Amino acid sequence: MKILVCVKQVPDMASKFKPNAANVWFDETDLAFRMNEYDEYAVEEAIRLKEQLDSGSADLVVLSIGPSRVVEAVKKALAMGCDRGVHIRDDESYLKDPWQIASLVAAYAKGEHFDIVFTGMQSLDRGSAQVGPTLAEALGYSCVTTVIGFSLEGGVITAKRELEGGAKGVIRLKLPAVITCQLGLNTPRYPTLPNIMKARKKEIAVFEVAELGVENPRTVTERFFAPVKKGCGLVLEGEAAALAGKVVEILKQSTIVLRGQP
Amino acid sequence: MEAAREIYWNVGHGVILPMYFFAAGAAAVCLYGFARRIRVYGLGGPLDRSSNPFLRLRLAAAWAFAQVKVLRAAFPGIFHAAFFWFFLLLFAGTLLIVAQVDFTLPLFGFSFLKGAFYKGYSLTLDLAGLGAIAALLVFFARRFIARPEGLETSWDDYLVHGLLLLILITGFWIEGARMAATEMKGDVALARFSPVGMAAAGFLASWQEGALLSSHKVLWWSHLLLALGLIALIPFTRLRHLFLVPANYFFASLEPKGALKTLNLSDENAQSFGAGKVKDLTWKDIFDSDACVSCKRCQDECPAYATGKPLSPMQVVHKLKDCAFSGPETDIVAAVTDAALWACTTCGACQETCPAGVEHVGKIIEMRRNMTLMKGEFAGAEGRSAASSLEVNKNPFGLPYAERADWAAGLDVRILAEHAEADIIYFAGCYASFDRRNRIVAQKFIEICNHSGIRVGILGKEEKCCGEPVRKLGNEYLYQELAAENIRALNGYKVSRIVTACPHCRHTLGLHYRDLGLNAEVVHHSVFVNDLLKSGRLKTRAERFDFTYHDSCYLSRYSGTVEEPREVLKAAGGVLAEMRKNKTESFCCGGGGGRVLLEEKEGRKICAERIKMAQATGMPLVVSNCPFCLTMLEDGIKTSNCEEKLQARDLAEIVAERLA
Repeated sequence: MKILVCVKQVPDMASKFKPNAANVWFDETDLAFRMNEYDEYAVEEAIRLKEQLDSGSADLVVLSIGPSRVVEAVKKALAMGCDRGVHIRDDESYLKDPWQIASLVAAYAKGEHFDIVFTGMQSLDRGSAQVGPTLAEALGYSCVTTVIGFSLEGGVITAKRELEGGAKGVIRLKLPAVITCQLGLNTPRYPTLPNIMKARKKEIAVFEVAELGVENPRTVTERFFAPVKKGCGLVLEGEAAALAGKVVEILKQSTIVLRGQP
Repeated sequence: MEAAREIYWNVGHGVILPMYFFAAGAAAVCLYGFARRIRVYGLGGPLDRSSNPFLRLRLAAAWAFAQVKVLRAAFPGIFHAAFFWFFLLLFAGTLLIVAQVDFTLPLFGFSFLKGAFYKGYSLTLDLAGLGAIAALLVFFARRFIARPEGLETSWDDYLVHGLLLLILITGFWIEGARMAATEMKGDVALARFSPVGMAAAGFLASWQEGALLSSHKVLWWSHLLLALGLIALIPFTRLRHLFLVPANYFFASLEPKGALKTLNLSDENAQSFGAGKVKDLTWKDIFDSDACVSCKRCQDECPAYATGKPLSPMQVVHKLKDCAFSGPETDIVAAVTDAALWACTTCGACQETCPAGVEHVGKIIEMRRNMTLMKGEFAGAEGRSAASSLEVNKNPFGLPYAERADWAAGLDVRILAEHAEADIIYFAGCYASFDRRNRIVAQKFIEICNHSGIRVGILGKEEKCCGEPVRKLGNEYLYQELAAENIRALNGYKVSRIVTACPHCRHTLGLHYRDLGLNAEVVHHSVFVNDLLKSGRLKTRAERFDFTYHDSCYLSRYSGTVEEPREVLKAAGGVLAEMRKNKTESFCCGGGGGRVLLEEKEGRKICAERIKMAQATGMPLVVSNCPFCLTMLEDGIKTSNCEEKLQARDLAEIVAERLA
C-alpha cells in the first residue's frame, strides 16, 4: 500500500506578525517555523496505518511545498516514521492559492498511484481548508474532512468526523481516498533518537516547482492586515457589592441589555 | 613473673590445625560469595574509576577509618563509628595474638604480648569489647524497639546483630572462665587490667573448676565458630558493606559534582541510549546498589519523598539491585516506575548524605534518558509542550524567540551581534528573558554592572535555552542541539567571561558545555558581585535588613558556592537567620531536574515545605539567587497564604537598592 502525507511548515502562532513589503502576506523575519499542527495528526495517523499493515508492504511518503526551510518539517516526519520525503521547492509558495497548491501535489501524486493521502484539515497560517478536498477532486479520489477517528479494514475506511455544533458523523468510504485530520484524532509521537538517526539516511527527493507545472490561481490575496482593534477587556477590582453597582452602570451606559428596565 | 597470659590455655595447641582449617573454610566461603556477586557487577558496562589510585586510596582510608560520611548524621552515626572503632580494636587484638603465636614465637622465639604492653593491650581490648556491646545495644534498641519510620528490617538484621552480640558475650565468658580458674586465684593485680573479664570471673566464681574448664572449652570453640561464621556470612548479609563501602569510596567519582556523561549521539552503532535494562547500567551502578546499607538517610533527605511523592532514592537503588540479581535483560524502568523517576528534582541531597558513596542522581537521569530517547515519553503533557516550544522558539514557554532580549530594552547593554566589545557576556537564561518576575532580577544585575563600570554584552535573540531542564528530564538530543547553537554563538565573540544569574545555566555552561567545546569562564552573579565588592569596583552602603537565605542546590551542593552570597548580603546590611537545612545540605525548592517545567500533581508542594522552614526563622524575607528558586519560593508563599509575612527576593535586587 502506498501512503502519502502532505505537510506544511507554518510560523509559530505566538509570533508577532508584520505584513511583508508587498502587503499580501507576512514578513518572515524573526519568525520561528514548525510543522502545521493538523499535519502532525496526519503524519501520526499515516504512521499508525503503516504499522498496522505489514511492515514491508507499506510505502509512506511525506511531501511538503515551500522554500528550503520546509525540509525541517519533512525531516521531522521522517524521524517520526515516514519512509521517504518529497520536497517541492518553491520560494514563492506563500503566494499560491489552495488550487495551485493542490494541483502541484496532484501533479506529483498522479504517477505514484497512492492508495491513501493524509493531510491536515487546514493550515494554521492561511487556514483555507481547501487543499485536501481539492486534491481529492484533482486525483478523482473519495474524500472525508475533519477526521477525528480512523480505521481501515478490508479495504474500507471508517472515519469519524466532526460536524457543526458538536455533532459527529461516521463515514465509510473506499480507497483511494484523501483524509484531512482534525485535533483529537491522535497524539503525535515524539521521535525517538534511533529514529532520528535513521531518518538522516532517508531519501528526500527534490522537485522544482516549475517541473510540475503551475496552474493559474483561482483566488488572489488582496491585502494582509491585523484585525482592527474594536474594544478591550476591563478588569474591575474592589468589594463585591461596589463592583455589582459598577457593572450595572456599565451595562446601562454601554449596552442595551438593561434598556427599558427601571 | 612478667604479666602475660597463656595463649590456648585449657584448649591446648592441638586446636591450631583445626582452627586454621575452619578459618580457611570460612575465608573460602566468603571469597566464593563475593566472586558470585562480582559476576553480577560485571553485567554492567564499563566505567573507568581507577585513575589517580593513590588519591583514591587516601580518600577511601580516610572516609572509612575516620567514619567521615557515617558521622554526617550525628545519631546514629556516632554509635556506628564507636562500634566500628571498638570492633576494629578487637580485630587488631586478635591479629596480634595470631602474629605472636603463629609467627614470631615459633619462627623467632619472640613474644611481645607481655609486661606493660600486655597490660595495656588487655585493658584496651576489654574496654573495647564493653563499648562494642554498649553500641550494639543501642543498635538493638533503635532497630528492633524504636523502629524509625522507613527503616527496613529483615532476617539478615536479626542474624547479624544476634551473631555480633553472641560473639562479644562468649568472648567475655571465655575470658571470665579463664580468669576464674587462673588469675583470680593467683595474680589479682594483673586481673585488674581485664576489668570486664574480672567481672565475668566474679560471676563464675562459685563454679567448680571442672565446670569452668569444660564451659571454657565449649565456649572457646563456639566463639571461634561464630566468629568464622560471621566471616563466611559477610557476602551474604548486610555485613558485606565492610568491604563494599570502603571499596565504593575508592571508586568514588573524582569529577566535579553533577558531571554527566555526554552521550555520543552520532554513534550509528549505538543500539540503545540511557539505561532501560540492567545491561545498560555501568558496573558501578550495580556495585552501588549492592553497597547500599539501607540506612534510609537518602530517603530522609529527599524532598520528593518528604512531600509524599512516589520516589525514595533508597528504593530506586534497592530495585536496581533486585533487577541486577535477576538478570541482564531485566527492565529497570518498569521496576523503578516512571512516576518515581519523574518525581526526582536531581537536587543531589541523597548523594550528598549517603554514607556508602552511592550515586543516585546519575542513575535516575540515565533511566529518564532511556524513557525519553528510546520511547519518546514525557512527564505529562506540559513536559511535551515545553520540549516542543524549545524546539521551535528555544525557550520552554513557547514565547517568540525574537523577543528574548526585550527585557533589556532601554538599558545600557550591548547586543553582541551589533557591538561585539564587552567585559562580560551576561547569559540571561529563559527565566530572566521571559518571566516577568525574573526580568526584574536581570535588570537589577545590569544596574549593578553599570554602576561598577562593567560593559555588559548579551546574545539577545542568538541566546537559546541552555538545555538544562530538558537534559535532566532525559532529552539529551534536544540539549545537545541547544548547546551547540549557544556554543557557536558564544565562541563567536572574544569575551572570555560569562556571567549568569541562574545556577542551572552556570552549571551547564561552565561544566557540561566543556564536553561540547565551550571553554570560557562561567561565573554566577553572586560570586561576580562578591568579587566586584572585594576589588572595590562596586561600592554598596549597608542598610539593615533581616533575612533568611535559601541555598540553590546547583549553587551550593553542586558548585560549592556557599559563603559568597552570604558575604554579599551581609555587606549590604543583612542580618541572617539560617533555615533548617542550609548550605550544602539545603532543601530543594522543587524546581530542579526539569521539574520547574512540570506540574506537581502528587503529594504536597515541595516549595510550600521550604516556605515552612523559612517561616520558622521568623524573618520577613527569604533571599535566593536562582530564577527557579525565586519562582518556586513565590509559589510557596502564595500556596501558604503568607504574602503578608514573607517576601522572596533575589540577591541582585537587594544589592541594586544599596549602590553607593
